[in-house]
Amino acid sequence: MPDKHLSSQFDADLNSLSSRLLEMGGLVESQISTAMRAFTSMDSETCDVVIENEKLVNELEIQIDLDCTELIARRQPTARDLRLVMAVSKAITNLERAGDEAETVAKRTKRLIESNVPYKINVAEIRLSGQMAITLLRRSLDAFARLDTVAAAEVVAEDRQIDEEFRGFVRKLISYMSEDPHIISTGLDMLTIAKAIERIGDHAKNIAEFVIYIAKGADVRHIPHEDLVREANK
Amino acid sequence: MMSNMNTMFDLNKIDSQGGRVDTTNQQPAQAAVNALEVRNLNFYYGSFQGLKDINLDIEQGKVTAFIGPSGCGKSTLLRTLNRMYDLYPGQRAEGEINFYGQNILSPGQDLNLLRSRIGMVFQKPTPFPMSIYENIAFGVRLYEKLSRSEMDERVEWALNKAALWTEAKDKLNQSGLSLSGGQQQRLCIARGVAVKPSVILLDEPTSALDPISTGKIEELINELKHEYTIAIVTHNMQQAARVSDYTAYMYLGSLIEYGKTDEIFIKPKRKETEDYITGRFG
Amino acid sequence: MNNTSNIDKGIFAKRKRANKIGLSLSMGAMLLGMVFLFWILSVLLIKGFSALDLSLFTQSTPAPGSDGGGLANAIVGSLLLIGTCTFFSTPIGVLAGLYLSEYGDRSRVASITRFVTDIMLSAPSIVIGLFVYAFVVAQVRHFSGWAGTLALALIAIPVVVRTTENMLRLVPGSLREAAYALGTPKWKVAFKITLRAAQSGVMTGILLALARVSGETAPLLFTALNNQFFSTNMNAPMANLPVVIFQFAMSPYDNWVELAWGGALLITFAVLGLNILARVVFREKVQA
Repeated sequence: MPDKHLSSQFDADLNSLSSRLLEMGGLVESQISTAMRAFTSMDSETCDVVIENEKLVNELEIQIDLDCTELIARRQPTARDLRLVMAVSKAITNLERAGDEAETVAKRTKRLIESNVPYKINVAEIRLSGQMAITLLRRSLDAFARLDTVAAAEVVAEDRQIDEEFRGFVRKLISYMSEDPHIISTGLDMLTIAKAIERIGDHAKNIAEFVIYIAKGADVRHIPHEDLVREANK
Repeated sequence: MMSNMNTMFDLNKIDSQGGRVDTTNQQPAQAAVNALEVRNLNFYYGSFQGLKDINLDIEQGKVTAFIGPSGCGKSTLLRTLNRMYDLYPGQRAEGEINFYGQNILSPGQDLNLLRSRIGMVFQKPTPFPMSIYENIAFGVRLYEKLSRSEMDERVEWALNKAALWTEAKDKLNQSGLSLSGGQQQRLCIARGVAVKPSVILLDEPTSALDPISTGKIEELINELKHEYTIAIVTHNMQQAARVSDYTAYMYLGSLIEYGKTDEIFIKPKRKETEDYITGRFG
Repeated sequence: MNNTSNIDKGIFAKRKRANKIGLSLSMGAMLLGMVFLFWILSVLLIKGFSALDLSLFTQSTPAPGSDGGGLANAIVGSLLLIGTCTFFSTPIGVLAGLYLSEYGDRSRVASITRFVTDIMLSAPSIVIGLFVYAFVVAQVRHFSGWAGTLALALIAIPVVVRTTENMLRLVPGSLREAAYALGTPKWKVAFKITLRAAQSGVMTGILLALARVSGETAPLLFTALNNQFFSTNMNAPMANLPVVIFQFAMSPYDNWVELAWGGALLITFAVLGLNILARVVFREKVQA
């Protein structure tokens, strides 16, 4: 926020809210990276790290929500301050769920390791979309930090690629599983992991939509993409 | 409700992005009637210009709030609407203020009649030095001839409208000054309502009152707006947000922004407005 | 730490001393004033008490040399003079005060009126008496009660004008504005709202003017003069207490002197009573 409030405490509270969101975002980002690493290297201990740290993500969600509520009670924020608080309150939900998805990836990876069924499924799509999801989340948080609506609009557009990768992987998986019924349970675990990554992309998209809401006051959820871009570029 | 449910499950009504397409019939918006239309209003205290080229409409049956820092001209503007400034030599207004089409700034305007149609309640509660009954009857008697029973009815009606009847009905003959501050202000409101004006102007009506009295009067405004047009000046922004349908932000004699209260407080158009309501003033 | 507490003690003691000195000086001054007041009242009571009996109120002033008598004609005469004076000066004074406060305010006429009122307030009452003598009594070639009324009115009106204007000015502008905001015409605001709000103050002013003229002697000497007999004819000389006291106090007759003291007692306590009444009226209304 460029301008300062008459109350410096209010400024401090709002800034603290934003930075805590970014802190939570960073934590979730590293959770996803670690989960992907565990999947790629099939390392059980790395999975445990992700599962262990999940509760930190949950704690942050609760604390930041409390901060939001206290800010509203004490300051009765209006206009862009109000939009910021509302958006932060929703964005942390998206982050917390993205954290859950990272944990899902870790847990399913662990199951794959323990079941020890040899398989010949090419998981390139999973690795690729995992990378894309991490990048998308990082860019949405960047856009939030700078309230950059143009960058946010780009994030919303690029989430589609993750969706396409997912659909491609599902088609491939179906053909694998129809050829060899023995790998169906392995295949289902893979499907769950791929779906989790696709959802992470959606959460990053939601956060980007909130960025446009804060900066421009337009609620761009569920509207056609051309309209979203128009609002972002106003 | 039913139409919404149909839309939800009708896949034909969902577009490619997954957004819902609204196909309910759009009713043509009912033409808003303006009780007061201010056009090119300039106001002078001697040589000092207090209002600069004000243009705005005050819609009938709605509450319009005026906010802004001290000295922005909001009280000045309110007092032009019932020509209170005429009491003081050296103050003059130029421009037009149309009250249901009639320009009230024209020289031949009957001021007393105007003020019986556009009433005002002030910041400091000012009951007349008479009984509660007489306080209300005084204004009514100016322009209407009512029998004793009709006057009784009117007094009861006015006190009911001001949510003061139950507290005052047993002491109608006691002096108006025997009431508490919040009650006195409600008496002033009852007095203003009793003459059945079209417009009621409120100049910081709750500034001198405690929070509970303030709450009662805000509730009153909410009920009165169904039958009267109300314009309120307040330095308490949250009050403007609570009671008004439209808000006007003024600064240094100019109208900076005017719009629906929800929009002003969630998504104001002007940066000056946003700075003021978020407290970024300095 | 010890040093500071010592210094404090020193300052405190000095202040206490200064306080005591100031207080004693003020008390002393007050006692001095009170002493004279009570001295006068007690002398009046002692000397005039003996004159207080029914005959004071039933018999007229006695002829020189004759015994007994009372002050009936003087009492009635004074009441008539003061009564008629009030009857004329109240409306004129209140309306003038109303004009100055509500209508004229800054106009030329208003400032001239105020100036004249101020001069009249401090004019010596004997001068006013002489004026009425020259222009009324000398013209018709006889003293009269009406001339006395005129002289008293010329003294009372400025008092009423001044106090009325001041009391009206004390009414807050917000009350007037509230009345205007209902569509009340100007004259109604002035009479029914502002005047009504100031009514106790205005009444106090009238009572104080009354108290003032009750004791005026000099103007009556040249206008109403005096009347030995009981009369209610305002066109002729009218008996009144101040002139009777003047006449009887320095006379060689004992009963006259006694009656003079009685009359002085009556006037003093009447004026005292009016002042107390004025205060009570004012306080009552203010607290309402």
